[in-house]
Amino acid sequence: MSDQTSQGVGGLTFDHKKRAWPNEFNVFLALILITLLFEVLGQVLPYMNGQSMLFDFNEARDGTILNMARIKIIILQVAIIGIISLGVTQVIISGGIDLSSGPLVGATAMIAMSFAQTELVNGNPNPKAVFGLWAMDLPVIVPVIVGLAFGALIGSINGFFVAFARIPPFIATLGMFLVCRGISQWWTKGQPVSFPTDSYAWIGSGMMPVVWFIGLAVVLQLIMRYTVYGKHTYAIGSNEDAARMSGINIRRHKVMVYMIASILAAFAAIVLSSKNLTAQAGMGQFYELYGIAMAVIGGVSLTGGRGSIIGTVLGAMVFGVIQSGFTFIKLDAFYQLMAMGAIIIGAVVLDQWRQQRAAARA
Amino acid sequence: MKKTLTAAALTVLMSSTAMAENIGVSMALFDDNFLTVLRNGIQEQADGMEGVDVQIEDAQNDVARQLDQINNFVASGVDAIIVNPVDTSATQAMTQAAEAAGVPLVYVNREPINVDTLPDSQAFVASDEAESGTLETIEICNILANMGRDPARVYILMGELSNQAAVMRTKDIDDVIAAGKCAVEIEEIDRQTANWSREQATSLMTNWLSSGEPFDAVIANNDEMAIGAIQAMKASGIAMEDVVVGGVDATQDALSAMQAGELDVTVFQNAAAQGGGALQAALQLARGEAVDQKVYIPFELVTPDNMESYMSKN
Repeated sequence: MSDQTSQGVGGLTFDHKKRAWPNEFNVFLALILITLLFEVLGQVLPYMNGQSMLFDFNEARDGTILNMARIKIIILQVAIIGIISLGVTQVIISGGIDLSSGPLVGATAMIAMSFAQTELVNGNPNPKAVFGLWAMDLPVIVPVIVGLAFGALIGSINGFFVAFARIPPFIATLGMFLVCRGISQWWTKGQPVSFPTDSYAWIGSGMMPVVWFIGLAVVLQLIMRYTVYGKHTYAIGSNEDAARMSGINIRRHKVMVYMIASILAAFAAIVLSSKNLTAQAGMGQFYELYGIAMAVIGGVSLTGGRGSIIGTVLGAMVFGVIQSGFTFIKLDAFYQLMAMGAIIIGAVVLDQWRQQRAAARA
Repeated sequence: MKKTLTAAALTVLMSSTAMAENIGVSMALFDDNFLTVLRNGIQEQADGMEGVDVQIEDAQNDVARQLDQINNFVASGVDAIIVNPVDTSATQAMTQAAEAAGVPLVYVNREPINVDTLPDSQAFVASDEAESGTLETIEICNILANMGRDPARVYILMGELSNQAAVMRTKDIDDVIAAGKCAVEIEEIDRQTANWSREQATSLMTNWLSSGEPFDAVIANNDEMAIGAIQAMKASGIAMEDVVVGGVDATQDALSAMQAGELDVTVFQNAAAQGGGALQAALQLARGEAVDQKVYIPFELVTPDNMESYMSKN
């Protein structure tokens, strides 16, 4: 017990050699297959006139034969929920779940945005001003810090109840789900908060959401793969008792896990409100579920201990391709949710089936 | 316990003429911009009146919760109830509950399915959704005609598919075109839902833009989606004077976009007037006065020419 590091995590290190074939490869394969499916539909469906989803042969608008506009939107439209799913991924790997991220997005967007407002809109006073003049045109760092601090607070409360009060994460974060929904409505009594400063608007402008998403994904992938924090997270998710015996401070670690998840969700809220130039109490609806679905499609196991950030990023891409694909083939709006649900279930069924076969072979 | 005491106190006060009138309000949901203005309309009107107390509850988009709230209001002995229905097809049970208890009931904003069979003690206050999409579409057609775009190619952004306003406003568009009330010929490229949301509309519009199809107008079921489409088009470098964009609601954000020359048409639904009208009807019914069973607050077309007068309304 005197030397924690030499004892490691009790032989619970994440052993890549034991895996038949990297899980991420399957997700990548699914991504390619779904993309191909839409390409084929573009050729086959009579009303599509042989259009291509990803290629643009008629006129090279961006100097390439790729349809860059569509490739950009495929990832842009999932980048913000993607940031949430990065945090959710490490929560799920640790054996927990976080349902509070969607409402946290709404609450953080409202709170952060009210410190990011600009005084004059088209020369008139800001019609949506939440506070007095003192809160107008503040440096961009103020709303960002306030937003992230709020996220950290919510996350630490989640973590406290899961780790110290031993409330099941599903219930603890479900409670926080309601608390945050309440906060987002109470903050301005339901009124939207709009008209941010230019510097705040920059955070989510153009392709910035993708830059944040990919940047954060790289950082988290490195953390999960190479740091003690990451290894302990996998260890706790694989076998909590073994991890405890090997000397990991489980409770402190879990608080960290939930805090990081909520800080990421809070950051997603900042990007979202900046991108939309508004914050609304209903923002982030279903984001927690889509975030979880992205992770699960990306091969993160809900029983904990298995999965990776790369998988989640690919899972998010699958979502993006499906969403753009539906618009591309002009699928009737009434069928889209049904098809989306079927694809989510199908992806997990395939993954389970592959795992069972791999287990049978071994 | 507190409610029981209040109810008991009210019973004692029944004979007194100077008693406060209590109105229970059940809103479908609190985190909706439009419904917030409506809710504030009720609250402000009540605040400005002597001896009128309103208690406003949030049904959180849950039909069952709303019915419970109505029954709770009945139990606490309110003088009248205002309901902003979560689901317009679930109003029969609410009508029966209130009627059985002898408490007047006013539906606001969303038309109940039993609107034509309401008992005398109940009424409906709203705007006629058949106007909103119609005003919007006809104005867009006129602008397109002035620009010489005939035939015009349009995208349609729909609200939540299960929502009556989304269904009606979309139907209005179809009706205007079918009835030949549109000044130009409309070629619809695609229609999709963005669930009233700016974020989803931005993504959807960007997806549409990525197909490279030429288009002349975007008709949205509400302003938030129209603004989302505008943000997507601006990001893609489309000149906003070449495209006609219309929404409904005349929100502050929409009016600001109109000032900037980006949004061309919106329609004002007087939420505060609906809230005030509902409270008025509820009080009249509570006092036993006769009330029109359907009170319609008209929609108003908002364009850059008259937008000034709407700046402070929403």
